[in-house]
Amino acid sequence: MAYSAATYQAALEKLHHHLQGYAPMTKSEFREMEPFLEIREFDKRVKVIREGEVERYLNVIAWGLARKYLPVRNKEITIQLASEGHMIHSELSFHYRVPSRAVVETIEPTVFFSISYDSLEQLYEQIPGFERLGRLMISDLFIKSDNRYFNQLRKSTRERFLEYVRNHPDMVQRVPQKYLASFLNIKPETFSRLKHLTRGKIIKG
Amino acid sequence: MLEMLQQYISAYAALTAEEFAVLADKLVVREFDRRQLLVRVGEVEEYLSFIVKGLARMYFLKGKTEMITNIAKEGELIASSSSFLSGKPSYYYVETLEPCTVLSITRANLERAYQESPKIEKLGRLVTTYFVLQKEEWELECMRMDTRERFLRFIGNNPELLMRVPQKYLASYLNMKPETFSRLKNHIKKRPVAGRP
Repeated sequence: MAYSAATYQAALEKLHHHLQGYAPMTKSEFREMEPFLEIREFDKRVKVIREGEVERYLNVIAWGLARKYLPVRNKEITIQLASEGHMIHSELSFHYRVPSRAVVETIEPTVFFSISYDSLEQLYEQIPGFERLGRLMISDLFIKSDNRYFNQLRKSTRERFLEYVRNHPDMVQRVPQKYLASFLNIKPETFSRLKHLTRGKIIKG
Repeated sequence: MLEMLQQYISAYAALTAEEFAVLADKLVVREFDRRQLLVRVGEVEEYLSFIVKGLARMYFLKGKTEMITNIAKEGELIASSSSFLSGKPSYYYVETLEPCTVLSITRANLERAYQESPKIEKLGRLVTTYFVLQKEEWELECMRMDTRERFLRFIGNNPELLMRVPQKYLASYLNMKPETFSRLKNHIKKRPVAGRP
C-alpha cells in the first residue's frame, strides 16, 4: 500500500475541515497538532485491536471503512460503523487502560490518523483550545450514541432501517449487509426484505 | 451542599477555590417534591443538575410502557443529557422518585464558565467522557451478560437502590420482566449471604 504525499495532504486538509465543524481552528493551530498524529495503514479485514489487548490509540479515519464489534458466544455484534472523518477505537480500553472486550476491524483498506494516549494528554496540556475541541467531539459522540440507543429501544425494525438508509445512503452501498443488519439489530432475512422494499419505492418515485 | 459537589468534582480535576467559585457562582438550588417532572419529552433540557438529596429517574414511553434508562441518587448528576448537550428537544422524561434537592447550572451559564476558566472546560471534557464510557459499558453489559448476570452485577453495585426504588422500575431499568426480577431477588434471599455471622 503506497499512497502519494498529495493524498495524505488532502486527507489532512479534510481532517482540519472536519475538526472545524466542532470548534474554530486556524491552520497554524492545526499544524501544531500534526506532529502528534501517527499515520497507520491497514489492509481490508484486518483487526486493528483484538479482544484482550489494551487500546493504545484514538483513531480518526483518513480514508476507508471500519467497524467495531463485540464477540458474544460465537457471534459478532457490530456496535459501530465508521467512515472518513469519524473516530473509531475501543473507548473503554483506551480511557481506562484495561483489556478491550471489543474488536475494531477494517472493512476496506483503511488509513487512520491516530493519537496515542500519552500524545493526547500532551496535546491537552500544550495546546490551548484543544480542550474545547475534545469536549465538543466527545459531546457529539455522546449525542450520537444516545440517539442510536434510543432508536434501538424505541423504534420498530422498519423505522430503524428506513432512517438509516435515508441518513447514510453511502454506507448502505459500502458496508456488507450482514454487518449493517447486526448494527441495526435486524435479522439478515428481514434486512434483505426491507432492502427490496425500498428499491421498489425508488423505482416508483 | 457545595462540599458534596466539590467532592464529586475532585474525582475529575483539582480546582482551586477561585476556579470552583466560577462554577459555584452560577449554581441555583432547586427543590422538588416526589413525582415531579424536571423535563418532559419535547422540551429542551436547560439544566445540568447535581443531586444533593433524593432520587430521580429518566424514562421514555414505548406505547404505554415506561422504559427507564437511568436512575440517579445523591452525589450523582441528572439531566436529559443528550438534550442538554445538543440543545435539542428531549427524548426522555426526567422525574423525581423521592423529594429532591439539586444544584443546577443552565447550559448558557456552563458555557460562560467554560469561557472563564480552562480548568472548568477540562472538567467538562472529563465528565462528558465519563458519560460516554458509562453508556458504552452499560450497552456492552446488556449484550454480553445474561439476565441473571446483569441483575447480580447491578445489585452488587447498588444494594441500597433495592430498598429505595420500586421493583418494577428496577426491572424496567435492567430491561427484564418484573416476574423475572422478583424471581432473581427471591433467589438471592434464600441463599446464605457470605460473611453473615
